[in-house]
Amino acid sequence: MSNVEQTTGSAIKAEIRAYIEENFLYMHPGLEVSDEDNLLALGVMDSLSFVELVEEVQERYGISVQDVEITEENFGSIGALTRYIEGKKA
Amino acid sequence: MNARTLDDDLRRSAAQHADRTAVVYGDRRLTYAELDRAVDGFAAGLRQLGVRRGDRVAVVLPNCVETAIAIYGALRAGAAFTPLNATAKEEKLAYLLEHSGSAVAVADARNSHTVQNAAIRAPELQHVVGVGGQIGDTPSLEELCETPPDPPGAYPQTMDVDLASIIYTSGSTGVPKGVAFLHRNMTFVSDSIIEYLGLRGDDRILCVLPLSHTYGLYHLIMAMRVGATLVLERGVTFPGRVVQALVDEKITVLPGVPTVWQVLINLEGLADRELPHLRLLTNAGAALSVARVQAVRKVFNNAVLFSMYGQTECKRVCYLPPDQLDVRPDSVGIPIPGTEVWIENEHGERVGPGEVGELIIRGDHVMQGYWKDAEATAKKLKPGRWPGDRVLRSGDLFRQDEEGYLYFVGRSDDIIKSRGEKVAPKEVEEVLYLYEGVREAAVVGVDDELLGQAIVAHVSAEEGVELDPKLLRRHCAERLEDFMVPGKVVIHDDLPKTDNGKLDKLALAAMRDRPAVGAR
Repeated sequence: MSNVEQTTGSAIKAEIRAYIEENFLYMHPGLEVSDEDNLLALGVMDSLSFVELVEEVQERYGISVQDVEITEENFGSIGALTRYIEGKKA
Repeated sequence: MNARTLDDDLRRSAAQHADRTAVVYGDRRLTYAELDRAVDGFAAGLRQLGVRRGDRVAVVLPNCVETAIAIYGALRAGAAFTPLNATAKEEKLAYLLEHSGSAVAVADARNSHTVQNAAIRAPELQHVVGVGGQIGDTPSLEELCETPPDPPGAYPQTMDVDLASIIYTSGSTGVPKGVAFLHRNMTFVSDSIIEYLGLRGDDRILCVLPLSHTYGLYHLIMAMRVGATLVLERGVTFPGRVVQALVDEKITVLPGVPTVWQVLINLEGLADRELPHLRLLTNAGAALSVARVQAVRKVFNNAVLFSMYGQTECKRVCYLPPDQLDVRPDSVGIPIPGTEVWIENEHGERVGPGEVGELIIRGDHVMQGYWKDAEATAKKLKPGRWPGDRVLRSGDLFRQDEEGYLYFVGRSDDIIKSRGEKVAPKEVEEVLYLYEGVREAAVVGVDDELLGQAIVAHVSAEEGVELDPKLLRRHCAERLEDFMVPGKVVIHDDLPKTDNGKLDKLALAAMRDRPAVGAR
């Protein structure tokens, strides 16, 4: 079993959070982001950061993100993205 | 009915196609009759707030159906509209509201904090109208739309020589300039573009580009003029929505900038979709590379692609007829119908084929001038052949081939084009200099596949100061519109200089992300 397959839901969530904090959240000191907060509405991410995020998700989890899947429902928050990745890997 | 003003377009389309969908955003859909009624109410509401003929109404909204109501409501009330970027920060917004002398601003209620703070510094601004909620004491747009309409002829008729819009664009000095257009200029250029694109009333246009920028805005104006359906999205942040809209709304026309195409052509599965309705793609804002053109045509193989070039001061300059795309893929084509262009050398003499010079533009699409800036206007517009005739100096370098096709050679200023938007390095540098400990700052554009040009800031620190690139980016993000924030900040001990002691931007641009020797 590869490491990728062993990654659990909470581990995925922690990885996604770490990635977003490292790359985008530093621009917003003091901002608390909960798992279900909308990253676009909060201004944490813009259209280009989502392009980076989609690439990151494809590479890190070895999944293929389809065109119509890149929506707010799937990528809009840390929680949504975790559920989406889990669903794709299942 | 003769549609002399922009509002005449909406009235005519509402009379002819009352039940046709005019504008869509998400779940909000308005038919032409519904849009016309909302505009009637909003115009009457604006009049009650004191808006009069020739006043300016600032529209500070992201793409939504209310943007259309605000723009056409302002026009119906006899005012001109000033579309402003909804991500503009307080400082910049205050300047734009004050400079345009706007009497009313229409803004998203969720943005009320920024807009109200900016409004304090705009003495002529009387009211801020909220969308999705009230701002201060002024009724919301939704409430104003319920105002009983004024009877026809209740106030002076708007004419085609009245001011229709002031559209702000970045200038190389770092201070935005307000480009003033009459109704006549805007209906003329709309007709010219409608003609060469062959836009029709049964078209369904998907506009992901901001309506605060001319490229996006004219899709609203042209849709109203031909009675087409305009579907709005906000960029390609979630391209899944864009793809879904292409399918569900049976989109026929898709305008884009290189960043939009770059996102779309890399989507998994899009090339396999049929999209049988999509017939027309347009690109402007920045040129698409020949390789990218091929990739776009491969993904959207039922549609023809128009490459176009323009600038805010005349909206559109030229377009490449699609049948020329394989013949001269790097050309930006021929002047739009009803206009002429030529190329001049530094002595103001016309040059022959193959020679490089400044592109000069003549036609009724050319702006009236820069708002409250006679000096800049005099530099940009020069006398033409007849009394009152004026021609536009593009400031861009071009050449023409033997058959008259145009080729963009370069800009004569240092403006960066990123995500299809103009960015003045000086505007970003001035924000960097506000940061304590910054000694030198130089902002350059670096070629980037996704952005066209990426914005890179090179900075040196004052003696004994340690600068953190992340904090500098954050400082910029707090003060600049999203598209102006440097993607990368490089810290140096010293910035390279030219022989006469100026910061050497060419060297910095060539350096890309490898800092100079000695840089940290």
